[in-house]
Amino acid sequence: MSVPSEPGALLEHLFRRQSGRVVAHLTHLLGPAHLDVAEEAMQEAMLRALQTWPYQGVPDNSAAWLFRVAHNAAIDAVRRNRLLAEKTDALVGELSSSSAAITGDPDLEEQLRDDELRMIFMCCHPDISRDARVALSLKAVGGFSVRELARAFLADETTIAQRLVRAKRQIRDRHLTLDMPGGPELKSRLDSVLDVLYFMFNEGYAAHEGGELIRQDLCLEALRLARLVASSSIAEPRAHALVALMALQAARQPARVDNSGDLILLEDQDRSRWDRQLIGLGFHHFDRSMVGEEVSEYHVQAAIAATHVRAAADRAPDWQLILYLYDQLISLNPSPVVALNRAVAVAKVHGPESALAAIEPLVNDPHLRDYYLLLAVRGHLLLELGQGAEAAACFRAALKRPCSEPERRFLKRKLALAAG
Amino acid sequence: MAQYMLLLYDDPKGWESLSPEEMQKATEKYMAWTQKPFTRDSHRLTPDPGKVIRAESGHARAADGPYSETKEVLGGYYTIEAADYDEAVKLALAHPHLDYGGTIEVRQVWGS
Repeated sequence: MSVPSEPGALLEHLFRRQSGRVVAHLTHLLGPAHLDVAEEAMQEAMLRALQTWPYQGVPDNSAAWLFRVAHNAAIDAVRRNRLLAEKTDALVGELSSSSAAITGDPDLEEQLRDDELRMIFMCCHPDISRDARVALSLKAVGGFSVRELARAFLADETTIAQRLVRAKRQIRDRHLTLDMPGGPELKSRLDSVLDVLYFMFNEGYAAHEGGELIRQDLCLEALRLARLVASSSIAEPRAHALVALMALQAARQPARVDNSGDLILLEDQDRSRWDRQLIGLGFHHFDRSMVGEEVSEYHVQAAIAATHVRAAADRAPDWQLILYLYDQLISLNPSPVVALNRAVAVAKVHGPESALAAIEPLVNDPHLRDYYLLLAVRGHLLLELGQGAEAAACFRAALKRPCSEPERRFLKRKLALAAG
Repeated sequence: MAQYMLLLYDDPKGWESLSPEEMQKATEKYMAWTQKPFTRDSHRLTPDPGKVIRAESGHARAADGPYSETKEVLGGYYTIEAADYDEAVKLALAHPHLDYGGTIEVRQVWGS
């Protein structure tokens, strides 16, 4: 037993990291129908750590300790409930021998990575609804609690809890397994996984006040899982493109808000505050995404993020290229939100008037009618054209739409500019 | 310096809703407190109801402990050094146990 040099400090995210791995591994041994048992066993191990480490010191290999204690708790649960009645003894035997494995052993590490990967693929099964896929992935693999998920998704705890219960019922009722799908099904499952991870990332990336830390955790967890998928043998170039996109966007995170929590537009950001390590990671995966002919939406999004990041400190990014990339993105995904983002590039290349014309068809789009950003962009363009009164009207209308506190403050600053 | 016992009670069920990240934070906070210079001794009790021995009409008998029915369980105890009750209470008020809904009983050790 050793006491850490810094009083009370453990390896960052030790419990969360270990939780995802242990739950995935136990679920692999117990079967997905007993995901609950796996989660409870891990919870018990963490509770035991809380009850003993402060008094007896932290075990030398704390990760291995959690792994072993969770296994023992699972064994107790299997015995107590005569889980899988006739298979109880076999299961206990398997759990016991797995419990003796040494964390850090390359074979076990490989196994744990594989278990986690299979777990994500199961959580993203098409039989589970999309909302539930996201929540389940974050709960089972990411080690997020219901309360944290509720905070991250600005939803109430009951909604999240119900989503999880439903997902677990679907796992049991449809007898989902941790087997990797094969053939064309593998391709569509990979798409579902990437979609869930991208959604997870965007939820975390969206500017919201309150629980900011938890949202940043969401981004980093999405990035970690995407890297796990990209590093596996089944990865396709678009998985690397997604990692690149996440890393390049996350790199700008530290420069997105000022000290008082106000949003800073991309062009006004202090680029020295961008995370060089994430940029390096992003470009590494961007290169790897170039293999083959495939051009996915993630490829184009990553290329746009890369163009922003590549711009020299004292120069504007290559807007011509960004506009070209948005044109490509529109052809892959003709969504109104993409069209709105493209308008910003149109304004840079062809001026605000052309951009206004480009977003004109969006004004009546039912998906965007309540989107504050459409009005904000419109106001911004009108302001550039010197039409202060019209711009002010847009910002006022945008303020009536749902948006976060930092966004609200941003709109108020713009409104003051327009009305002043 | 007088010695004081801090008796920590909590509802073990209360920890169930915490996430791994929160459990780790809690563990770190408890560890930091345990390593404070005024702490003389600290022990954790196993999470079971324990036994109580009572003499009834001349016969001493052991029965399941007081915690088989109640929600809050005596989970552990500390011995700390403090000048007086006021200081002991002040030190105990900073214990993370209170952040997690626990109760702390402070008692002076006789003759210390």
